[in-house]
Amino acid sequence: MEKNEPILGGIDPEIMQRLCNRREAIQRGASASAAVTWGLSLGSVPVALAALAKDVYAQAPSDILDALQFAFILENLENEFYKAVLGTSAVAAQNTAFNPVRAAIQALPNGAAIVAAVRQIQKHEQQHADFLRMTAIPLFGGTAPTITANDFDFTGGDGTGTGPFARATQEVDFLLLSAQAFEDTGVRAYKGQAGRFLIPGNTNADVALESALRIHSVEGRHAAKIRRIRRQRNPGDTSLRFIGYIRGGGLEAAGAGNIANPPAGVVDALNRIYGGTSPESNTTHVFFNDVTNTVATVNTATMSGVTVVGPGETQTTAATMAFDEPLTKQEVIDIVKGFIKDDPSRGLP
Amino acid sequence: MSDHDGKRDREEPFFIGSGGELLRPATRRKFFRMMGTSGAIVLLPSVFAGCDDDDDGPSGNERPQPVTAVTFDLRTDVGIFRLVHVLEIVEGAFYTAVVNKSDFTTIFNADAQEVLRDIRNAEVIHREFVRTALGAQAVPDFSSQLNQTTLAAALSSAASILTTARMLESLGVSGLNGGGKYIKDVRNLLVAGKIASVEARHLAALRELQPPAGVDANLAFASDETIDPNGRDIKQEAGEILARVKAMDIISEPLETNITISNPPDASQGVPTPSFFPPTP
Repeated sequence: MEKNEPILGGIDPEIMQRLCNRREAIQRGASASAAVTWGLSLGSVPVALAALAKDVYAQAPSDILDALQFAFILENLENEFYKAVLGTSAVAAQNTAFNPVRAAIQALPNGAAIVAAVRQIQKHEQQHADFLRMTAIPLFGGTAPTITANDFDFTGGDGTGTGPFARATQEVDFLLLSAQAFEDTGVRAYKGQAGRFLIPGNTNADVALESALRIHSVEGRHAAKIRRIRRQRNPGDTSLRFIGYIRGGGLEAAGAGNIANPPAGVVDALNRIYGGTSPESNTTHVFFNDVTNTVATVNTATMSGVTVVGPGETQTTAATMAFDEPLTKQEVIDIVKGFIKDDPSRGLP
Repeated sequence: MSDHDGKRDREEPFFIGSGGELLRPATRRKFFRMMGTSGAIVLLPSVFAGCDDDDDGPSGNERPQPVTAVTFDLRTDVGIFRLVHVLEIVEGAFYTAVVNKSDFTTIFNADAQEVLRDIRNAEVIHREFVRTALGAQAVPDFSSQLNQTTLAAALSSAASILTTARMLESLGVSGLNGGGKYIKDVRNLLVAGKIASVEARHLAALRELQPPAGVDANLAFASDETIDPNGRDIKQEAGEILARVKAMDIISEPLETNITISNPPDASQGVPTPSFFPPTP
């Protein structure tokens, strides 16, 4: 900065635009970090600017890159799982492991229909992994690690091949439950990460956020389809809705009633997948009104204006189904790490 | 799902303009006959002209003021969610009419009945959540201002119901996917996401119940024409969503024409991206 330049003149114009946007946002009542408020209260422009610059980058592009890398691992997990089920994995041992359940599916009257649906789902997971690797991650200056089917243990045994989900290789209903678990986890994982993509004034962040939302809704379609297949096999289990909703929370929400004697590790996983700090049974949601600058906390189980239809239906149950809930990154890691062989050098948990 | 409806007369909605008309035997007979069929009865506002002006509450004496205009300032999260609110009002009214149809359990099998009841409950809950959350900034409830001719046609058969439902859910999914990037507060982005994946579940189930023409029933939940080569779902900008709602002609005039976007999002919120929406949602 030269001696006679105005104080703001030496700052990168892109940063200045973001600071102006951020300042305006704060004036309109968006939350400001303690450092910013402190700086503004001191009336100290350089201090406030320095704090604003850091505040602007509190959700830095490196946050987005981390979220994308994390998504990449999950998409590979799903993709390689479905390829093994279909018998199209590059790793023969993975295909062989799923021979029994693949044969069992093909023997069903609607076996071809199930295979067609799984093939379509796998195609999307491949597309998601490719998009993240070739487009999204490089956009944020990253390089996706190389991940192969060998990095996964679909029994959930962290590489032992004898984990609690081993029956997925043998029994159709267990396999479908596993697929549902992966899809619902994926929906919840993307939802939990979406906030990291919110950077005002950053076009790349907007593009990444929109893509993440569009992938997230595809995973929602997948999850609904798997649940529909499961309900059609078990028409009497009304906890598994034909609409493909998650009903209630915890183990109940998994709709695992058709699995005899599930291993403790499976019960634990399902409790995690449908539980968490924001469990699927949650009915309270927050909205920030940026016109009045007030927070509305609404319990949809008890709010007025609702009647529900359907045999024995209650507003509370309907409210658990009307919204899907997020999982934090750590909660997702704790769910999936048993399916992924550890390799910290590639970020594999 | 039966195809009985193809053989049933499609009656025009029956409009009643005054309480006095119901005193005439021919009118009264037709009124009760239509209540027993799937015909639509429309009570015009003039029927209520004899009521007093007191807001007497659920006794039936209150006269709801018609909504004449709705605007959205998309520079705020409130504005974005007001557009969501409009869609939820339309959906809540449509699905409620569907499940209340006298032949609902004969034209739909058990699967479809449960699907439509569950969707109806969710849309009513979404609508009331947004209404409660927006408070004074909520869109006034215009559920009684749907275009009765359009609604009657949409309700006239299982096929027309499912086609209309597919379009409505497609607008929800594509609108939230395209609108999410403009949201400014992370809490609002989260709640939009919570709704979006549920709408995606709706769309998958509806497309499977009645695939668009030419689409393989096994793949309809997420078929190729509705997912792009990167595996990404449909998206549209707010202007496109509003245009498609108007093209459905499901909201009566003059309100429909007077639903407008007062301000697009600021550049700092994001810039529009190309639309991705199939010819047959």
